[in-house]
Amino acid sequence: MTFRDRLLATIRAAQPVLEVQGVLVIGSEVPNLLEPGAAATLVVSQLLDIGVPVDRHPTVKRRLDELREFEPSADEPSVWVPRSPGLLELNFVGMDPHQDPAEAYVLEDARLPLLVFGALSLLSLGAVIEVEGTRVPLPRLAGLLLEKLITDRTGEKGERDLLVASALLATAGRADSEELEQAYRRLRPELRHAARSNLTILSLLGPRNGMPDPRLRRAEVAALLRRLEAGEGDLP
Amino acid sequence: MTPALDQRIRQLRSRVLVRSWDYRQRRHARGIWFRLRRLLADASQAYAITRHDAEVLVAEGYRVEPVGRELEPPKLIVFAPAARIAGIASRRPLAVQLSADLILADCLALVPFQDDTEARL
Repeated sequence: MTFRDRLLATIRAAQPVLEVQGVLVIGSEVPNLLEPGAAATLVVSQLLDIGVPVDRHPTVKRRLDELREFEPSADEPSVWVPRSPGLLELNFVGMDPHQDPAEAYVLEDARLPLLVFGALSLLSLGAVIEVEGTRVPLPRLAGLLLEKLITDRTGEKGERDLLVASALLATAGRADSEELEQAYRRLRPELRHAARSNLTILSLLGPRNGMPDPRLRRAEVAALLRRLEAGEGDLP
Repeated sequence: MTPALDQRIRQLRSRVLVRSWDYRQRRHARGIWFRLRRLLADASQAYAITRHDAEVLVAEGYRVEPVGRELEPPKLIVFAPAARIAGIASRRPLAVQLSADLILADCLALVPFQDDTEARL
């Protein structure tokens, strides 16, 4: 069974919650799904991140009983583990459009507590793609890319997340870039700096097995940095 | 809150604190690493060259990048067109990464992505 098979089987099995309006597939599987035919060639974690708008939390909870192929993790109830090895974990995270992008809080709940990441407030519904008969709601590319660029991560995980950003950049068109720039300008200076700082790190990363070679995107990253810096006053 | 969620949120908040601290340092000595990365992000190619060749480039009017002087020991970093650097016998190509090779090089000649070397004269 290929990773793609497992990813698609997981999406099918998670359909009851993915059908809830506003719920999104987010995270590093998005570029895998955006590959032609959802080829899923990137090496990422074995989980499916599901973004739940906090105002949809009650609706999502009501659908949990329909997730017959998963059960909540004993250690971490926002993670639902598969009952068979042919599926990936589901990782539920909260999205609150009114939250500060640098903050986080826990939406307390006995059945489905959610860690609500502020950076996810940058996400909104984008394309709904159909993969082998299953509808998959994805976030708008610009918001997802910016979320990757302002989320502070460390170590190997951090570098892989930036390579996911590189994969997203590869699929971004002019309209996505313009949307990214507009969203960037709405951020406060510290977060704008974080985005530029992460772009410089991405620019200097070497290749990793199973990920697109970031060196091929360096010219685009340099151009994006210049566009983001245009109009910034007093840069260090 | 479960211990796992509690731990994740504490880790996230501590990373945000460190990032804020980094941001406040951006104009100080610690900010050199961002400034160096930012400079290298504009370079399509990087070469280690001898000090003599670097000084020849400077004498020709190519600007010394201030970031290099902020390191200890200081580094002489100059942007120049690819064609000009191709004529430097001492040049040794380096990956444009924060590698030991690049960090240890005494003098760096960089080729810009954009043909804006004139702006750096």
